[in-house]
Amino acid sequence: MIEFLGEVVAWFLDPAHWTGANGIPNRVWEHVQITVAATSVAALLAILPAIVLGHRKQGGTLVVGAVNLFRAVPSFGIVVLALPITIGLGLGIGFWPTFLALLFLAIPPMFINSYTGVAGVDPDLIEAARGVGMTDAQCLLGVEVPAASPIIIAAVRVAAVQVVATATLGAIVGWGGLGRYIIDGFAIQDDVMVFAGALLVAGLALVTEGLMSAVERWLVPKGLQTAGNEVARIAV
Amino acid sequence: MLRNRAIVILAVAVALVAAACSSDDGTIEGPTIKVGSANFSESALVAEIYAQALETEGYSVDRKLNIGSREIYKPALESGELDLIPEYIGTMLTNLGGVATSDSTSTHAALQAAWEPMGISVLDFAPAQDKNGIVVTKATANEFGLITTSDLAALNGTLVFGGPPECPSREFCLIGLTDLYGLDFTEFKPLDVGGPITVAALESGEIHVALLFTSSGVILAKDFVLLDDDLGLQPAENLAPAVRTEILDAYGDRFEDVLRAVSVALTTEELIALNKAVEVDGEDPDKVAATWLEGL
Repeated sequence: MIEFLGEVVAWFLDPAHWTGANGIPNRVWEHVQITVAATSVAALLAILPAIVLGHRKQGGTLVVGAVNLFRAVPSFGIVVLALPITIGLGLGIGFWPTFLALLFLAIPPMFINSYTGVAGVDPDLIEAARGVGMTDAQCLLGVEVPAASPIIIAAVRVAAVQVVATATLGAIVGWGGLGRYIIDGFAIQDDVMVFAGALLVAGLALVTEGLMSAVERWLVPKGLQTAGNEVARIAV
Repeated sequence: MLRNRAIVILAVAVALVAAACSSDDGTIEGPTIKVGSANFSESALVAEIYAQALETEGYSVDRKLNIGSREIYKPALESGELDLIPEYIGTMLTNLGGVATSDSTSTHAALQAAWEPMGISVLDFAPAQDKNGIVVTKATANEFGLITTSDLAALNGTLVFGGPPECPSREFCLIGLTDLYGLDFTEFKPLDVGGPITVAALESGEIHVALLFTSSGVILAKDFVLLDDDLGLQPAENLAPAVRTEILDAYGDRFEDVLRAVSVALTTEELIALNKAVEVDGEDPDKVAATWLEGL
């Protein structure tokens, strides 16, 4: 065991593993790129419609149920199923099937939390807002969204970490990222490489969690900060 | 009411477990033969053919196909988790530390000798060979006038090579291409084992040179160009069933005869046609195997 960990440390200290297309910096960069891309696009696709629907209190169970279906499809399945589609569309292998699978993964928690967050805002707050003369849009943007922000941002945070962990699947369809160490190591039964890859993914997930916590502290209104942590886990 | 329902559920559960636990019962008494394959379509297809041939004779067979690379299935075979797997004599002999040549008979004999101490018998080899093939698209071949693998040396430092993830550690793959042919690719992209991902990458231009297999049905179907192995990097790679000696001892000559009948009929042309049916025409490997065996 100690010997194995020694080999893992030696793997990280080997300068050859820090250069080139298969080096740690490049693979981490690829991984970060897809995480940022998938999380941002998913946020755009999920949060905006969900906020509007939540504000109007329309759709409700039906929409949430439909979005939950996305979650039922395993990411591995999507990555493989998307392959002939992306090839047929001329988008090739590698990045696009992986990106698609990650969208399917990230959209549900962000959508559901945004919807329930906005729909569940204290009616007294909304009544008060109308009472001081706010329009529909002002109420939504000035009161409802900030009130729901702890829940929404918590979902983005969780989704981002899940995306980091799941992006490793991309290596199966010829993409790069940190999954390469796991898949390639497995093919030649190099346990050290597999373990090193797993450590890197875990490390990146932790860094993502830390960054998103900071974002949460920055974006959520001060008055909601302490309350936010308790209510922040609704649908995730 | 609740008790009756519980009994029904329990009965269904027991029935399901029983169904799952039972394996094919052959009419010949003896240990169940666990047939395995590597994680690429040809290996799984040939393993399926051997499995069906044995089943037709009345042997009890259990399949474990698409296991993984050699690093995974070789220990499984040697430890008894598998009993039979189709192997390629040149690469396997090299894996065991031997020197493989282009002569099938001597390579096969050397392999038998090398593997016997580990309790594995290599039975008669088939005429069919499947070697690592260096492939480019027709457009690339025309653009640079590529006919042999040596021709790639003129393009050193400009081409991307794609193949199975284990290629960089294989003597007849990237190691041989670098050492014997002196090739220098800008990048190696790990894809899959001569499968659809590698084909898609070659077609789309994501890679310029691909590692596919010489018996693949895809090369002809996609009008790819198989570069000639002019320096003879690839050794003889006949297919041969590798079987645990204890299974051979349990069943004797008749078992060997069944497998030999299959091997003798498997030529490279037959193999390419079989591969084409599965890889290009998308037919079900089980049916392809059954149809081929019927025609023997």
